[in-house]
Amino acid sequence: MRIAVCMKAVVEPQSRIELDGDGNLRREQLRYEVNEYDLYAVEEAIRLVDSNDGEVTVITLGTEGAVQGLRKGLAMGAADAIHIDCDPYALDPSGVAALLAAALREGAYDLVLAGVESDDLGGAQVGVLLAEELGYAATTLVVGTSAPSEGSMEVRRELEAGEHSTVEIQLPAVLTIQSGINEPRYPSLKGIMAAKRKELVEKTPADLGFAELPLPRVAALGLELPPPRELARMLEGSAEETAAELVRILREEERAL
Amino acid sequence: MSRSIWFVAEHQDGQLHRGAAELAAAARAVGDETVAVVCSAPGGTVAQQVAPFADRVLLVEDPSLEPYTAGIWAQAVVALAKEHAPAAILLPHAPLGRDLGPVLAARLEAGLMTDCIALEWDEGLVGKRSVLRRKLVARERVTTSIAVATCQRAAFSAVAAGEPGTVETVEPSIDAEAARTRFVAMERAEMGEENITEADVVVAGGRGLGDAEKFGVVQDLAAALGGVMGASRPVVDQGWVAHDRQIGSSGITVRPKLYFALGISGAVQHVVGMRESDVIVAINKDPQAPIFEYAHYGIADDLFKVVPALLAELES
Ligand SMILES: Cc1cc2nc3c(=O)[nH]c(=O)nc-3n(C[C@H](O)[C@H](O)[C@H](O)COP(=O)(O)OP(=O)(O)OC[C@H]3O[C@@H](n4cnc5c(N)ncnc54)[C@H](O)[C@@H]3O)c2cc1C
Repeated sequence: MRIAVCMKAVVEPQSRIELDGDGNLRREQLRYEVNEYDLYAVEEAIRLVDSNDGEVTVITLGTEGAVQGLRKGLAMGAADAIHIDCDPYALDPSGVAALLAAALREGAYDLVLAGVESDDLGGAQVGVLLAEELGYAATTLVVGTSAPSEGSMEVRRELEAGEHSTVEIQLPAVLTIQSGINEPRYPSLKGIMAAKRKELVEKTPADLGFAELPLPRVAALGLELPPPRELARMLEGSAEETAAELVRILREEERAL
Repeated sequence: MSRSIWFVAEHQDGQLHRGAAELAAAARAVGDETVAVVCSAPGGTVAQQVAPFADRVLLVEDPSLEPYTAGIWAQAVVALAKEHAPAAILLPHAPLGRDLGPVLAARLEAGLMTDCIALEWDEGLVGKRSVLRRKLVARERVTTSIAVATCQRAAFSAVAAGEPGTVETVEPSIDAEAARTRFVAMERAEMGEENITEADVVVAGGRGLGDAEKFGVVQDLAAALGGVMGASRPVVDQGWVAHDRQIGSSGITVRPKLYFALGISGAVQHVVGMRESDVIVAINKDPQAPIFEYAHYGIADDLFKVVPALLAELES
């Protein structure tokens, strides 16, 4: 069984988020990490090949910084990696899916896994768009997989309010993986050393047949600060002071205790 | 030319989802005509249920359309959209829209905006969506002739039921054999041992608690307040507490008199499960955490200092 896993470098939650005078995001102060949902996808892929034979390829589209995610995927147990060197901000999700598909088409993967969404932009569409590009079936929000048999597999899909459904999907397929499906392993020292010797293929959009980047179907118009909401009454002071004030308010003003 | 905005009606077990009236509101805000698309098995009443929220209902009936699978619904909706060329198709940003939205977009060569919190028409469908963990809002415009968008739950206020729109039954254009996903089974939510939806006080902890052992202070505070313990999703995913404690879109919705959010950032999927609480208190060391937008009282400090102080104060 051959499985590819899509990984994305996302803005770290602790990064300072600021707009400059023209309303552009100050990108130079952003730090990146691997999208957490993608780690669940890598782990699930490794477990599937461990119990059914096969190999895992990890792939990312991004600038140099995105390669760090691939190294993590290799250290966790992927066999090889593909880096599409391209500024992700120059593409919309349909463009990202087109480039990923071009890089994955020849690999004839049985399964492509992706995180359910990216933690920073939350688009939640590249996985399924990629499936359509490749002509694969797709299912989203997967929280359980089972061993494939006779060209299909059953997956457990998370719905809302604690409900789930089981879906049988024919391979080849794309699954978008939801958190909680497994517990991603920490790469071992041995894994990290082994990763250094594994193949990491570099591709440019031109290598993939894109002399020009695909035109976006969604245009970015700008960024703004969230609309002001009714903010909380913030209690100030030492922990003892804020605790005392809160208990007083809850007892006397809100009569909630 | 009049602008027709479609929305795909979400339903299960013959019942229209109440989110349909929110999609109708979103559609009405940007179009001249609101059309509900209903994919269902023959003999249902979903079309009649959704009619009061739309000018027109396009009903596609086929036994293969229930229970839902993305593949067959996509065939039905794509065929209709190719024939009638609506300006936009709206779906809920929920399991249905996450599954079906990108398939429609790909097959109609349409741009897709997901998780929209506002929509307007300005030389095309323009949407606003929260990005970077709700610290910024992005404005986007779909540049293709058909637009597809998914709308965040509860971001649009539901329209009231009006004069029912006309229901037109259309011939399905479906090849069920070609579908590559098949519905197998449905699992209902399991009930927990302690019914936390009925508690007057819920103390919920998030990833900010750090680990299972330190999560104990959440239980301590819950006990001191005579309440029950709840959690955000990562806490449940990591097995610190059981599934039935998860509050939010994929867990339970609570509406206690008093809700404490400890070390919870305030992601929308969590907030939908607690924002109706009477009094909300948030303790988070990040003063910019979005949870403070929903809380009535906030303490921007280390919870491991504030909670022990609270326990001491409650004892006195
Ligand atoms: C389809 C889908 C469904 C989902 N369903 C749900 C759901 O039902 N419920 C749910 O909760 N989530 C759900 N999520 C996940 C959701 O998007 C968020 O990832 C999640 O709610 C974040 O949980 P958190 O706030 O505990 O963690 P984080 O976002 O990591 O926040 C931790 C917070 O703790 C604070 N903190 C850290 N240390 C301290 C300290 N010492 N003192 C005080 N504060 C501290 C940090 O400042 C931070 O704000 C869902 C996601 C998806 C995609």
